Amino acid sequence: MPESKAFLFDVTMCILCGACGAADKERNQLPPFDGDIGQERLSANAFLVINKVQDRGVRHSCMHCVTPTCASVCPVGALEKTQIGAVIYHKDICMGCRYCMAACPFKIPRYEWDKALPYVRKCDFCYGRIINGQSPACAEVCPTGALTFGNRGDLIQEARKRFKAASPTYVDHIYGESEIGGTSLLIISDIAMEKLGYPGDLAENPLPSLTWAALEKVPNVVFLGGAFLTGLWWITKRREEVIAAEHHRADNPNGRKS
Amino acid sequence: MRFRIKPSWVIPIIIFAIGLYCVFVRFTQGLGASTNLSDQFPWGLWIGFDVLCGVALAAGAFTLSAAVYVLHLDNYKPLVRAAILTGFIGYLLVIIALMFDLGHPYRIWHPLIMWNPNSVMFEISWCVTLYFSVLAMEVSNFLFEKVNWQRAFKVTHAITVPLVITGVILSTLHQSSLGSLFLIVPYKLHALWYSPWLPVFFFNSAMALGCAMVIVESFISSKIFKKELELSILTNLSRALVVILAVYGIARAIDINDRDAWDLIFQPGFEHFMFLAEILLAIIGPIILLSINRVRINRSGLFISALMVVIGFILNRFNVSMTGLIRAADTKYIPSWMEISVTIAIVTLGLVLFGLAVKYLDIFKDAKPCLSKGETCSDNPSCCLPTPLWFLIIFFWAVVAGLMFNGIRDFYNYLPNVL
Repeated sequence: MPESKAFLFDVTMCILCGACGAADKERNQLPPFDGDIGQERLSANAFLVINKVQDRGVRHSCMHCVTPTCASVCPVGALEKTQIGAVIYHKDICMGCRYCMAACPFKIPRYEWDKALPYVRKCDFCYGRIINGQSPACAEVCPTGALTFGNRGDLIQEARKRFKAASPTYVDHIYGESEIGGTSLLIISDIAMEKLGYPGDLAENPLPSLTWAALEKVPNVVFLGGAFLTGLWWITKRREEVIAAEHHRADNPNGRKS
Repeated sequence: MRFRIKPSWVIPIIIFAIGLYCVFVRFTQGLGASTNLSDQFPWGLWIGFDVLCGVALAAGAFTLSAAVYVLHLDNYKPLVRAAILTGFIGYLLVIIALMFDLGHPYRIWHPLIMWNPNSVMFEISWCVTLYFSVLAMEVSNFLFEKVNWQRAFKVTHAITVPLVITGVILSTLHQSSLGSLFLIVPYKLHALWYSPWLPVFFFNSAMALGCAMVIVESFISSKIFKKELELSILTNLSRALVVILAVYGIARAIDINDRDAWDLIFQPGFEHFMFLAEILLAIIGPIILLSINRVRINRSGLFISALMVVIGFILNRFNVSMTGLIRAADTKYIPSWMEISVTIAIVTLGLVLFGLAVKYLDIFKDAKPCLSKGETCSDNPSCCLPTPLWFLIIFFWAVVAGLMFNGIRDFYNYLPNVL
């Protein structure tokens, strides 16, 4: 079994050159962005953007969660967490309910709102490149090493090593190590993640467990409910029969069986 | 027989024409051109009203058929047909609405083949499909009887009880699961509505909504089609409704208490106004009104109280699926005129189908005027509602209107902050 891969994104090293976004567009054949670097927002035409926040580059793209919310909510299993770490989308299966978009805690999936038969669009971790032994397009072109690609375990060690360095002074927190069960995009920074626009206060518990708490009761409802309702039906029916029989006896006080 | 267009058809035909135009736009230019949905707010009016409310309003079918066929509460028997018919029409409309909202509607059958048992939506798809089949069989029962096809009638009639029990279980599952849909968004849904009890709340409120809907329908049928159900049975049903509402209200209060959310109720913002309007309209108002005997036995009193329950729980579904999510989405969403037109067309279709069924199937009896000639209110007090009670009813609606007005005003004040 291949080891799960991940990205490590170091906010302190990003120089907002825009090379990763351009590589993403090239690989996914998306139209270029007209505005300034750092201004583009995620859309059906941009699966990876670097936003300029507090003079830093902030990467937004699919986090490739270890226990993905989107894959758990999809009624048809169009989203899949692969062994290699990528969360990929099977467009031939998707029926377009958009529950993945409603559920994603990082608000990542985008939709083709201008198409009559639209699909969900998002970063696929360059799944095709990875299984051919290449690294994802964005990590390959990053000139400063702000974005590195590797085994998830190794990258967590690497992040810890950087925390020990004297300069820059990092916030001692790897975003994505444990948030909602962990992600395959790990982010470290010298200021708090909430200030950079990432969702803060995410618990360690993966979100699908919240749904499962309700769904696991389904078999009980079916079997106990079925038995309970059948029982009620039988008891109330029996009661009516008894009442009818008593009326009958009251009408024939001699007790002769009819 | 010559085919003539009656004047009363003009409005429905106009509504359908506009609706069809919107559907045409949806399937030629996409959801972006026809709706105000966005990446930040992917579910809007079509999910919040057409689907969530459509399913919930249809809940009378399983509630009343359980009462009659499982619990043998025979006095409710005259209501069952109206309830089952509403259920069938409700689910039909939900499926039609999904056809516009889904990105790939022709793949609506995918969940039946491509399974993901971890998904609430998967479970709902299965339950709705099965339950719609159950309802179709129950409705076909009326049809067979009407055309006097004895053999088919015997078959559908014989399997009534197992069919009803299956239907109740399926309804319990998917009515609650519509609430479970929102368990996955603890960081997005406002804490006034997000609760681990959401599935229970949705199930419990669906039962209330189903009962209230039967009462409202009876009144509408007597006004429009001159047909109605017996008032004494509806009065009885409203007693059950009070109990269901009381259980629901207490459960909501316990939940707010458990989560220490009391202070949120008074926190400024459009959410707290909408929450208060919902609680007053769906729970407090109807419980108070329906506890008064003079209101219960009066046609108008009963209708207005049941209407409070219906609108109150529609507001509840709106709040869970829209009001409570909009702040976290950090965007603005107001349904587009096309979304609203399609919704109106779907509701109109429901009314037309209901009217046709009332006309051709034996659902209701012919209505009689409450006061016969020469009678006055003192002869038959159940026909008139005393003035103080009218004031009480108007007071409730006025407070709710005030809260809603404030909520909508606050929402419009909030909009510039997101763009």
